[in-house]
Amino acid sequence: MSALIKTIREALLTFEPDKLFELTEKSLKKGCSPQEFVDAMTVVLREIGDKFEKGELFLPHLVVAGEAAKKAISVYLEPLLKKARTERKAIGRVVIGTVAGDIHEIGKNIVSSMLYTAGFDVIDLGKDVPVEEFIKAVKEYNPDIVGMSALLSTTLPMQEDIIKALKKNNLRDKVRVMVGGAPVTAEWAEKIGADGYAEDAVEAVKIAKKLIGDKNR
Amino acid sequence: MMGIYCMKVEVIFQPEGKHARVKPCCSILEAAKLVGADLLSICGGLGECGKCRVIVEKGRENAGSITEMEKVHLSPTELSMGYRLACCTSVKGNLVVRVPEESRTSRQRLQVEGIEIPVKLEPLVQKYFVQLPMSTLQDSRSDVDRLLDELYAQHGLENLKVSYNLLQRLPCILRDSEWKVTVTVWRSNEIIGMESGDTTDRTFGYAVDIGTTKLAGYLIDLSTGRVMAAGSLMNPQIHYGEDVMTRITYAMRGHKEQKELQQVVIAGINQILVNLCERTGVNSEEVYEMTAVGNTAMHHLFLNLCPKPLGLSPYTPVVRSGVNVKAESIRVNIKPDGNVHTLPVVAGFVGADNVALILATEIYRRKELCMALDIGTNSEIVLGNKNEILVCSCASGPAFEGAHIRYGMRAGTGAIEKVILDTGTLEVKYWTIDNAKPCGICGSAIVCILAEMLKAGIIDVKGTMNKNLDSPRLHTGEDGLEFVLASREETSNGGEITVTQKDIREIQLAKAAIHAGAMILMRKKGVLERDIDMFFIAGAFGSYIDAESARTIGMYPEVPLEKVKVVGNAAATGARMALVSKMAREKAEEISNKVKHIELAAEPDFQAEFINSQFIPYADLARYPETSELLRNLGKYPKKPIPIFPYGRSNK
Repeated sequence: MSALIKTIREALLTFEPDKLFELTEKSLKKGCSPQEFVDAMTVVLREIGDKFEKGELFLPHLVVAGEAAKKAISVYLEPLLKKARTERKAIGRVVIGTVAGDIHEIGKNIVSSMLYTAGFDVIDLGKDVPVEEFIKAVKEYNPDIVGMSALLSTTLPMQEDIIKALKKNNLRDKVRVMVGGAPVTAEWAEKIGADGYAEDAVEAVKIAKKLIGDKNR
Repeated sequence: MMGIYCMKVEVIFQPEGKHARVKPCCSILEAAKLVGADLLSICGGLGECGKCRVIVEKGRENAGSITEMEKVHLSPTELSMGYRLACCTSVKGNLVVRVPEESRTSRQRLQVEGIEIPVKLEPLVQKYFVQLPMSTLQDSRSDVDRLLDELYAQHGLENLKVSYNLLQRLPCILRDSEWKVTVTVWRSNEIIGMESGDTTDRTFGYAVDIGTTKLAGYLIDLSTGRVMAAGSLMNPQIHYGEDVMTRITYAMRGHKEQKELQQVVIAGINQILVNLCERTGVNSEEVYEMTAVGNTAMHHLFLNLCPKPLGLSPYTPVVRSGVNVKAESIRVNIKPDGNVHTLPVVAGFVGADNVALILATEIYRRKELCMALDIGTNSEIVLGNKNEILVCSCASGPAFEGAHIRYGMRAGTGAIEKVILDTGTLEVKYWTIDNAKPCGICGSAIVCILAEMLKAGIIDVKGTMNKNLDSPRLHTGEDGLEFVLASREETSNGGEITVTQKDIREIQLAKAAIHAGAMILMRKKGVLERDIDMFFIAGAFGSYIDAESARTIGMYPEVPLEKVKVVGNAAATGARMALVSKMAREKAEEISNKVKHIELAAEPDFQAEFINSQFIPYADLARYPETSELLRNLGKYPKKPIPIFPYGRSNK
């Protein structure tokens, strides 16, 4: 396992996503189970996340690693897991989007990728998403977590609007709400009654896991 | 029966000596705002930026208890010395508060000079002297008819209106001056002033650049086009927030708040004018027209236009064309009937300042392919020439103003502004503003530092500090690795000044936004850096950064340095041009119509470009041959090729 982790780490940190795919194929051929590979990859991604928070790694590391892992899972590993009927049981389901009036989504996309590679089922609504669409998605997909991103302090109030809409539709108790984005602060999250707030994608995954844990208790 | 009233307490701000009388429980920051005491606030009072540091010298027991937020930004030592965050500290009784240098906005280097472009002098304000025949029983024409007839006879002017203000004063002026008067005519159409005698050589105008951070004003002699005096001031709106979005959010609270923002910026504009008039002996009644430029948000707040649509996609302005409004209706203290003209804007984030820049650099009529970079609180990029001009706005953030940098500060006394590192010994040589003892690092220095660190091998092209470097200047702090620029003994406050790994990441994010914008525009135009004939760096900040360092770190594409021209406050130059020249004003209107605005956030290639631009200078080093050569010679060229994040990928 540790040898596998080592090679995955190398592949991801040297920005060679294709190496990861080669590695995936090779390992699977050699008899490594898809689940084992996913677990090893998860260890590496967590490491990358921690190093990013410390500043030792930077944005490209995070994005490249996230995208490579996402592709490895969706293209190679998930189909195999499905076939073997040992489908990746999602840790939880997240509906995520950038609020209406806001078209920035790089940060939100990184969070999406990282949640997915961490084992969540992610429905990404995209950007400039109206309140009604968030509500519709919650009704349709029954997520555990709703994540909202706002990049401008002028679109921040939309996060509050969505929470109000959830209450109005009797959906607030069914989900945990997470907020993020440059102008978002812990105080704001508390003020609007969000359940969680993260400053970056790495923290977002940690908070999301914690919220799932709390929910299941 | 005793009336109930609220006891007011006094907060004295040193070293300015300003006294604020306030009700207890307001914050020190609010007290500062009340009397206009010089105190920084980047986050607008939310306790987030940690920059409103003050020292409570007297009356510590009258200050509210220390908050959790303050414990984040202030060390136990600082707290014991009386340091507090002004926005978090409530005033319970009389206090004497000292604002330390690093928290002051004054004594900033404010850029006022710019390039001078010769332009045909034809202001919209013209003066005419006439001698009128006295009214008699035989010639009992009304005063106005008499005046208009004479203006036609002597100067060929027709279809003139007389302002209502003037109508009320006209008869007295005519008789007091014995029928010899000078009229001031605007746009050959409206008489906005009348003075006794011949004052045709005294026609003045006022051009203003309403920057998010700094206001710059210029008093112009309209007979010659000459700048008589220039002055600047921090934009008073800063108390409501450092950045445009924070101010728009405040204005969105309601009409009162929106008006407040207009009033404070106009107060600042008027304050500069008072100063300029004093210095030149010009009376404000002799200033007949004003032009103003600024980014779209500043423009809207100045005109009291609702900025809400600017804050939400698709970020549309209320009005694009130039706007003319009477000075008295907007309370700008030039001649009350004088005109205030705002230049046209382009889009939500590309404003009149950008149009003015294009006017001043003449990109709109050049055949050479030009690129211009206006680095400020927001950065705009222009690419094109007389055939086509593309513009975009980049959210570079306040890192270049010192925000989010551990020891960052605005350019003021004691700020390290330039650094040279010996690539062998890693010894540091720095220069500070006013040659004072260093107390922080300003934006221009940070750019310099990053370039030097890259050349010295302290960071690699990924911006990662080399933890294996053997140097007493490198150690681990709470933000990770840090490089010491100035030791405790060297600094003014006895603490080290370092550059941390996190600081470097902040600058990478900031410069990547600008660089990505430049690359996207170039892609859209199908050009490469070798196709660019002229490169302008503008904006107050732009004048102070070292063009070479900025290029080395990949703030802009590798254009040959001899093609780079630092043009200072080109937006202000454009404002002046529009003041003295009718044609310039017409050109500005054409420019704003013709320019193509590119919304970066909607470009599919932006994400990839942003990622690739995080590298120092850039993931694709083939686009930086000179810098690559430099790094090779220093033995610092990366051993492994840098992977380039692919373009044209969607995120779904």
